[in-house]
Amino acid sequence: MHPDPAVLNDYVEDALGASGRADVEGHLESCADCRGAVNELREIRDVAKALDPRDPPARSWTRLQRAIALEHGARAVQVAGSRSADASGSGSRRQLWIGVAAAAALVIATAAGLRYAGFTSGPSSSQRATTTGGANANTDAAAQAVEAELKQAEAHYEKAIQGLETIANSEKGALDPQTAATMQKNLAVIDQAISESRAALRVQPASAPAQQSLLESFKAKLALLEDTVALINEMRKGNDAGAARIVSGLKGKG
Amino acid sequence: MRLALAFVVAALATAATPAAAQTPHLNEIIRIRSYQGRDRGPEQTDKFSAKYRLGRDGRVSIANISGDIVVTAGSGEEVSVDAVKRGRGDRSQLDQVRIEADSAPGRVDIKTVYPMRSNSSVSIDFTVVVPAGASLEVHSISGSVKITGVRGSVRAETVSGTVTAADTPKLEVAKTISGNVTLTNVQTEGDISVGTINGMMNAKGIRAHGIDFSSISGDLVIADMVCDRLGAKSVSGSVEYAGSISKTGRYNLTSHSGTIRLTLANPSGFELNADSFSGSVRSDFAVTLGPTSGNDRRRPGPGRTMHAVFGDGGATLTIRTFSGDIVIAKR
Repeated sequence: MHPDPAVLNDYVEDALGASGRADVEGHLESCADCRGAVNELREIRDVAKALDPRDPPARSWTRLQRAIALEHGARAVQVAGSRSADASGSGSRRQLWIGVAAAAALVIATAAGLRYAGFTSGPSSSQRATTTGGANANTDAAAQAVEAELKQAEAHYEKAIQGLETIANSEKGALDPQTAATMQKNLAVIDQAISESRAALRVQPASAPAQQSLLESFKAKLALLEDTVALINEMRKGNDAGAARIVSGLKGKG
Repeated sequence: MRLALAFVVAALATAATPAAAQTPHLNEIIRIRSYQGRDRGPEQTDKFSAKYRLGRDGRVSIANISGDIVVTAGSGEEVSVDAVKRGRGDRSQLDQVRIEADSAPGRVDIKTVYPMRSNSSVSIDFTVVVPAGASLEVHSISGSVKITGVRGSVRAETVSGTVTAADTPKLEVAKTISGNVTLTNVQTEGDISVGTINGMMNAKGIRAHGIDFSSISGDLVIADMVCDRLGAKSVSGSVEYAGSISKTGRYNLTSHSGTIRLTLANPSGFELNADSFSGSVRSDFAVTLGPTSGNDRRRPGPGRTMHAVFGDGGATLTIRTFSGDIVIAKR
């Protein structure tokens, strides 16, 4: 029986105990599939580690902004010239895709950065320090470090969300009213969760549940916005076979 | 559910492409669907029936824009398609919406084709019987999907509508944006991904290696489940899990504001990491509390943290809410 993927991930991250590590290594000796999976995880880890966990590359954000601006420009021309949906042409569609791709890249970079900045689903570093450190100075320092990381993470998420929101808002007419209302309602649910988490953190900056809830809410909002933009994209494309191929390509990578 | 729903639309976009250079825009069709029923005149219907030879373990795909899809497993080697077109007003609209089937050895692809820029309010309800061992992929934009008894791999996605799967041992995906998801008696050695944004999720009698449930505003109700890895996530919905846990399983359940309740049947042991900012945490098991359990004394309020071990501590339960309560109960 193959190890759980989470166990392989822990193995790659040296997070397993001695016996767990030995178990995995024993399995890897006889399982080419899992060896391949481990190699892929190592590649992902190495690539992610190479990413700047603090700030997204300025050029990425600049590209995203430019793409959004171009998209807006293309639509402005389109509206001025014709109301025909076909008038947007493939160039405009490409620009929207560029925007989505840039936003997606930013999200990936952000997520990877956060992952290696120490925000995992387990107990936070502040919690561990609180319970095992014993020394108040260490605890406070650790808590402050986590709070600082949280603020940086928040800034990354907000930038990525802002980019996707810009695209989603400018193109939301492409969705049918019912779907658009569903998306909007659920974005509001997530915004409420973000608002509550932030309020809690203002009172208790070191609260691990509040920190994790804030990050989870950001992730949920990003995911929903990605879905929204992807849907808008497909709706705009109609039955453009080329677009379907692009989506098929994404599917293969997913 | 990231991007996956785009594939529903992409599949339909491809499916909606007729041989000629017609370019119906899905958003227009969907808007038209939104106004369905407002058209004047009696309902018009048109029936379609066809059979295609597939073999026992071929692949079947069905892509529909508007209307329900019901698929059941049959004993033969044929795919049987019965469809009813429905519309109001001008009967010619029915003729403009076509059902196309592409049949090749080991493969049958069924799709609906709408005319370019028409005001069609036509929907098509499909009733399809496939060989029990067939693999099945069903996509819909506006309509429910119900699949029963199909033993091959099953993927079912819709944008607006419910997804129901029963006795489908190789279910891989069941997703919708707006609608409930109901799964019954699904047993697979692989992983299952189930998602809805705005609906409720009900799963009963599920056995799988790994299962991921996600919802934003819907409740998750999971009963009689056996799995090694569970991820259940909601923002405002509650999460209920009733069943067994495997000896070394990993179970992660989170909700921002919903209650999370686990009702466990005779677990040999688990390590519990439960945190809530303002909700309560309660375990009916005689757990050994870790040093970090109890109130977080670093702040006022009712929040709780429980890090504890029960029995052999083999399984890992990670449960987190912001304002919802956490309950670990005995079955």
